[in-house]
Amino acid sequence: MIDMLFQFLSNTGYFLADYRHVIMIVVGCIFVYLAVAKEYEPLLLVPIGFGIIVGNIPFFQGFGLGIYEDNSVFHYLYFGVTTGIYPSIVFLGLGAMTDFSSLLARPKLMLLGAAAQMGIFFTLLGAFALGFMPKEAASIAIIGGADGPTSIFLTAKLAPKLIGPIAIAAYSYMALIPVIQPPIMRLLTTRKERLIKMSEPREVHKKELVIFPVVATLLCCMLAPTALPLLGMLFLGNFLKESGVVDRLANTARSAIIDTATILLGFTVGMSTQADVFLNPKSLGIFALGAVAFSIATASGVIFAKIMNLFLKDKINPLLGAAGVSAVPGSAREVHLVGQSEDPSNYLLMHAMACNSSGVIGSAIAAGVLWSFMVGLPG
Amino acid sequence: MYGIEAINAHNGWSIAVIGAGIVFTGLVVLSIAISQLHKLLLFWDKRDEFFKLNGRKVEEQSDITSPEQFPVDIHDVAEVYKPVFAKLGDSFQLADLYAIARKYNFPHPHLTIKEFRQAGIMLPLGDGCFKLNTELTQNQG
Repeated sequence: MIDMLFQFLSNTGYFLADYRHVIMIVVGCIFVYLAVAKEYEPLLLVPIGFGIIVGNIPFFQGFGLGIYEDNSVFHYLYFGVTTGIYPSIVFLGLGAMTDFSSLLARPKLMLLGAAAQMGIFFTLLGAFALGFMPKEAASIAIIGGADGPTSIFLTAKLAPKLIGPIAIAAYSYMALIPVIQPPIMRLLTTRKERLIKMSEPREVHKKELVIFPVVATLLCCMLAPTALPLLGMLFLGNFLKESGVVDRLANTARSAIIDTATILLGFTVGMSTQADVFLNPKSLGIFALGAVAFSIATASGVIFAKIMNLFLKDKINPLLGAAGVSAVPGSAREVHLVGQSEDPSNYLLMHAMACNSSGVIGSAIAAGVLWSFMVGLPG
Repeated sequence: MYGIEAINAHNGWSIAVIGAGIVFTGLVVLSIAISQLHKLLLFWDKRDEFFKLNGRKVEEQSDITSPEQFPVDIHDVAEVYKPVFAKLGDSFQLADLYAIARKYNFPHPHLTIKEFRQAGIMLPLGDGCFKLNTELTQNQG
């Protein structure tokens, strides 16, 4: 009987745990704390944080418990990540939530969404320089797009082993937008520039909103067909919303479907950070490059807005460039708050959302482009 | 392999430049397309006028139009809706009114109909149908 008891105890998590598990469980707790106490991106950080905790409970290998074991329940749930199913479904819901009217009213703001994607390509060079292989480098670079589902999608296609660290880095930096972006915005703009008020946008015709997803699908997906799983779903969701004839489907896409996908995506990505897979020098490199990518993306957007102002009669507030990253709606909210801290009567949110939504399109195109470049290259 | 040597070996410069170029081109083309969209729609809406100018046979034009600046006062809004009521006839259902208002891009038709009812501009006939309170609209008009 004593033997049985000892055998049982030797199989418990308390016995099997080492310092790495403790580190990761603490990380998971920090995520949950940030989400609950500070309300930093709670929709993402709660499932991810809890996933990190659950994924790092030590267990006896061979029971089919872990996410990397073929016959485990979690492995089947993780299938949606490794095949890119969840990111596509998230994009469907995102499309059904997004109002592109501010972008349609002021299409030139789309250029800021393009400029912010420069962070991706700068980081690609940085990742190459640090010794990462091409597919790994492309997966790391996409963190600069500040779009969790896009990062996960591309990494699942190019470097599935890095999904954990890349997803955690991408979502961490998205949650840390209020910490990372404002200093960069302030550093690169003068007070006078931050005080620029945007003129009222024109009213957008309902028909424009209906036609936009079709036109955008044709133009963007023809250019980068590899972005189809993301952009095709994004614009389908938006068409469901704007067509006005399938409200039931649009409502389901923007509520139950995206919520289910977010829970499963966040939880399984969190679980994939098992200490033995996650805690290595590569992960540290990914986190460092992710921070660089995010910062360069923010800076590129702001600098490009300033360059645009050299040629525009109707000046744009350069803070909007920071919303060119596709962290919806966090970066738009941050731009608005920084603008309001200078002048409480300056409402930038609607304009920033235009940049934000073009950033989503831009990062998905960038992911498609990188994927097509990496076909046939070494891991 | 690290540093510049690694970037060169993996063709990094070309990938970065071409990749950034494609993303930029894609979004520039899309922004140009959507900046012209409202002009195309305006042309489409006024196609009858255009074809008339070109001597082509046109169908009878509707006199229902949505003004660029929509009035705020509900009685002024009722004036704008007059051609819609005329088209619907003496007795009509709310769904038909809503459908026509949407077809002609009147803003917030649902809210407007609700306010019409509250202001007594539309009177219930008791069988799910409504009629225009001509007395009230004439007084206002």
